[in-house]
Amino acid sequence: MTKKILVVDDSKTALMMEREILERRTTYQCVTASDGREAVEKAQQERPDLVLMDVVMPHMNGFEACKMMRQQASTREIPIVLVTTRGEEAYMEAGFQSGCNDYITKPIDSAELIALLQSYLGE
Amino acid sequence: MNRDKHKASGSTEADARDDLRLSAARKRLAESRGQEDAIEGVREIVANFLGSEELGLFRVDRGNGAFHVFWSFGIDLEEYDLLRALGHPGLERVMRGECHVELAAGEHAGEMGRARAFVPIRVGNQTVAILAILRLLPQKLEFDIADMELFKLLSSEAAKPLFGSGACDAGADSQPVTEGPGIRA
Repeated sequence: MTKKILVVDDSKTALMMEREILERRTTYQCVTASDGREAVEKAQQERPDLVLMDVVMPHMNGFEACKMMRQQASTREIPIVLVTTRGEEAYMEAGFQSGCNDYITKPIDSAELIALLQSYLGE
Repeated sequence: MNRDKHKASGSTEADARDDLRLSAARKRLAESRGQEDAIEGVREIVANFLGSEELGLFRVDRGNGAFHVFWSFGIDLEEYDLLRALGHPGLERVMRGECHVELAAGEHAGEMGRARAFVPIRVGNQTVAILAILRLLPQKLEFDIADMELFKLLSSEAAKPLFGSGACDAGADSQPVTEGPGIRA
């Protein structure tokens, strides 16, 4: 069965790139959202197998969206990988405290991203 | 959605990654809706693919040869001296269409995040603006070969979405804009 990934980013460029990586180089299905609020709604509707989410976004940032997903029974167990330009330890720690499973920094290396996704979803 | 999904072979891993970046960047520029969106597109390309959040655009005033800050993000460029940064020969090369890339700026060699690049934004054989990328994110230590392809793409394809089809004729009369981390990222 095809695994589904919810990709969340307010940057059209990042969404294009991440979507291209997933569609051209993996068998995962891709659904998208452009801010944290939409991500929480899409996660409930789509029940993805994993959420790949930017941190700094309008309306609701990735940390807040991550916390909300962890509070809801339907999304509590979904692996969440946060994506950000900020690689500092304190910032990453804040991400883990919000409930994310993993962290990847921009600029995204597609091979690294695919390996990370496969570690959660299998090939 | 592309239904013909496949996995790239290991030997073409880097090429495939670069193709993805280039095609996404090209698409983003081409699909820009107006100048503001084009500026945002350039910022996104630099942040997401090149790994920098300190950048700006200098517009070339063709009337007097001066450079004016057109837009900046993450850094205030009002006092930035392009000539001092590049020197005469460097600035001339950029104006002729060559990218000026410093993998690690000379006097700061060894420090992280000192790499910088100056990319001529071209229309035909004229440089109408210079994109300055001034500091890399801490996790990105230097520009690599693949980044050069992105510089070339920005150089040849950014002018039209940024300045419109009359880019060569336009003066540097727009108000400078400065943004910074915290406003958008």
